[in-house]
Amino acid sequence: MLKRLVFAVATVFVATTLNFFLFRVLPGDAIRNLARVPHASPQLQAELRKQFGLDKSPWEQYLLYLRQLLHGNLGISFADQKPVIDNVMQALVNTLPMVLVGTVLAIVIGIATGVIAAWWRGSWKGSVGTSTAIFFYAVPTQWLALVLLIAFAGVLPSHGMSDPYLLDDSWTAHTLDVGRHMLLPSLTLALTLYGEYALITRSAMLETLGEDYVLTARAKGLRPRVIVRRHALRNAMLPVTTLIALSLGYLVAGAILIETVFSWPGIGFAAYQAVIQRDYPMLQGTFLVLTVSVIFFNLLADLLYAWLDPRISE
Amino acid sequence: MSLLQVRDLNVWYSLGEGGENHAVRDLSFSLDPGQRLGLVGESGCGKTTALLALMALLPPTASVSGEVLFEGENLLNEDIARGHRWRDIALVFQGAMNAFNPVRRIEDQLIEPMLVHKSVAADAARNRARELLEMVGITASAGRRYPHELSGGMRQRAMLAMALACDPKILIADEPTTALDSMVQAQILQLVSKLSDELGLALLLVTHDLPVVSQVCSQAVVMYAGALAESGPVADLYHRPQHPYTRLLYAATPDLHDDRSVVSIPGVPPRLDHPITGCAFAPRCDVALAECTTSSPPTVQVEPGWTSACWRAGGAQ
Amino acid sequence: MSTPTSGGASWLARVLWRSTSGRMGVILLGIFVVLAVFSPILRPYGLDERVGGVYDPPSLAHPLGLDDGGIDMLSLLMEGGRMSLTVGFAAALVAMVIGGGIGIAAGYFGGWVDTVLMRITDYFLVIPSLPLAIVIAAVWGPSLSHLIVVIALLLWTSTARLIRAEVRSVRERVYVARARALGAGHGRIILRHVLPQIGPLLVANTVLSVASAIFDESALAFLGLGDPTAITWGKIIELAFLRTAVTAGAWWAVVPAGLCVAMVIVACFWIGQAVEDALNPRLAVAHLSPRTFAVRTITGRVSPSDKGAS
Repeated sequence: MLKRLVFAVATVFVATTLNFFLFRVLPGDAIRNLARVPHASPQLQAELRKQFGLDKSPWEQYLLYLRQLLHGNLGISFADQKPVIDNVMQALVNTLPMVLVGTVLAIVIGIATGVIAAWWRGSWKGSVGTSTAIFFYAVPTQWLALVLLIAFAGVLPSHGMSDPYLLDDSWTAHTLDVGRHMLLPSLTLALTLYGEYALITRSAMLETLGEDYVLTARAKGLRPRVIVRRHALRNAMLPVTTLIALSLGYLVAGAILIETVFSWPGIGFAAYQAVIQRDYPMLQGTFLVLTVSVIFFNLLADLLYAWLDPRISE
Repeated sequence: MSLLQVRDLNVWYSLGEGGENHAVRDLSFSLDPGQRLGLVGESGCGKTTALLALMALLPPTASVSGEVLFEGENLLNEDIARGHRWRDIALVFQGAMNAFNPVRRIEDQLIEPMLVHKSVAADAARNRARELLEMVGITASAGRRYPHELSGGMRQRAMLAMALACDPKILIADEPTTALDSMVQAQILQLVSKLSDELGLALLLVTHDLPVVSQVCSQAVVMYAGALAESGPVADLYHRPQHPYTRLLYAATPDLHDDRSVVSIPGVPPRLDHPITGCAFAPRCDVALAECTTSSPPTVQVEPGWTSACWRAGGAQ
Repeated sequence: MSTPTSGGASWLARVLWRSTSGRMGVILLGIFVVLAVFSPILRPYGLDERVGGVYDPPSLAHPLGLDDGGIDMLSLLMEGGRMSLTVGFAAALVAMVIGGGIGIAAGYFGGWVDTVLMRITDYFLVIPSLPLAIVIAAVWGPSLSHLIVVIALLLWTSTARLIRAEVRSVRERVYVARARALGAGHGRIILRHVLPQIGPLLVANTVLSVASAIFDESALAFLGLGDPTAITWGKIIELAFLRTAVTAGAWWAVVPAGLCVAMVIVACFWIGQAVEDALNPRLAVAHLSPRTFAVRTITGRVSPSDKGAS
């Protein structure tokens, strides 16, 4: 347990270092390529350099960067002059509910589909389930978002997180409003994710159903549904849970695309805008947050698996 | 009146691309109450398939014909068989790691069939489980452990305890000692014999290990290439085998008390995806006759309770 | 996981043709490849040819309608296929070389080489791929070759791990030990013994990489990081988004491109699955199924062995 934590912390450290070097080492002067003022006068460039400590040696810069990081200082956004940390935190708060709803939905639909597909393996019912799962897994996320937009045009809100012209100021009205705006993005996320979960579940179930203890359970005279529930499912959930937890870290990719289509003001959208606007501090900040979240979820997955499988002793 | 009667059992496994393996061919034998019968043969001879067929546990790739009569009912039907599983016929697999569910405690797996079949309260079931564990020679506290925490021998005993949970009439043991070292083997065999005596259990012991059968069973059914070679009292099979395969099988078994050298049987068993003309053993037989390669041998009754599928049965081997 | 395989192209062909999904995958992918390769000849209209109004709906002359510049969507789609498949295959190939190379080196040499390479791989795996790609593409500048490299960087890690595991098992095989004992050099052993064994797995993985590559390309293009001069399916979707096809209700500017991506990915998936199944035959036995074994009636079946006189 301790070993895993140490590894996670080490990875975070490597990630932050990488974050730092990525922007200094890539071809093209970071400031010239990414700064919001592409045709700045030499004085302005010099001023910017000084402001971001780029006139010091790389080693000094690195230390400065680390020190600032520890103080929670991620710089100031070029676009709106606000502290990056504030923007990023706000964006994170916006992303979480949408992603949570979508993920929970995806997990429920995915596992159910996977179990059914495994149960009906060989018959058309299993093939249909598997094929639809593959299809939704294969379609580009942003395309699915656009298709849903077109399908529900006029019925559900097409962008943003809330209606700026909402008259009723009450908490319920506001929540309902956000809820309505959240429907399509969450649905898109759920559809995009569930396919992979269904396939994983199906695989794990088939693997489990072929194990000896399932034969033992059958020999004991247990009914098929009981065997699936009490023996196969419980054991199949082991790899399924880990794989799902692992995939959560990579949720960010889908989130970026979905948030962009729906202009949902979350961390993904913030990253996208940082790229478009060449907002270098924001880009660095969002990237760091996204990396740390992946590491965090990987650690979670590891711990979860160790907790669930009694064969792994600590 | 036989407890279990197998009549003309045939099992086919379909392979990919239309072919099929005829894994069990016209197998017939019977098991009386309290009787101890050994099903012997080399790996791949169909004995495991036969035992799976007995309890209708074959996979969807299989097809069967014939009858498996338990107290008059034909068990070759999922619904009928399920009613008898564990209650009347219980199975002990090789206590390999995976025969037990690795993420559940031993005790929970022991009480599971009791709760389902005998509708007892959980407490009563747990008590009984502890009794059973002690009966097979493990401490009752072992029940709180997970399968991987037990040694091979203990796992095998636990499997035995689990099989006895619903007081079955027949105990089928599939290679119960193969994965164990000889000391533990002997203990397990003693245990099985003792239980069979004390509880009046009929025993069907499936194994490739002849000495085991000689030790525990009174009757043996020798299988070759999915079909019956010889079936009869163990002592008679040893002293006056009526089938060359039985004779050679004994000759190939090392015996600590005997100075003779071990002779292995040359050749390999035939493929089961093509029809076999004549006797399946003929290519490897040292006393094959002309008829052996052209026509199937008859099932000869040497004496009541003793049959052999050989052209030479009843005469010199 | 590995079974001794005969390896080689003929084995691959047989495996693909034998399984239904493999066959379907090959045919589907084949259709797209042919259309892509011959698209300059086959496409009905030019890529700059204005043949109608903004977002004209589908008609007989233009079965997939027109885009916002009045250009025939079908022609754009075919060109999109050509570019997308090019990027996809190229990126997958680069990833195969990088991933395969690292995997072979780590698996074959073991020791500190293995440790170092696997640490690098692990860290690459942890960094979220899309943001990484975004950052690199943003800073490096958009161009087709840059894009191919960036996508390859997203793909190589899974290949490396897979190949490493396989090479490790191959290394222990008898004939490799024999070759080493006979004094064969590393390069020779890798070329003549290791490579043929891991070949099929590498191919299966590369095919699946193509699918991922096309998917990733569409994502990157959507975020404005693709090559601005190349028309790929991803770019078509991006342009539809930016030029308000949605509000115009011009579904034909959006739907076909995504469907094409999906179909290519599904085809690659089928092919990859067929090869993987052949290499790792999971027990076709599911002990549980609503169907159990079949019972044959005695009248319908005579057992192959003759019933002799009893």
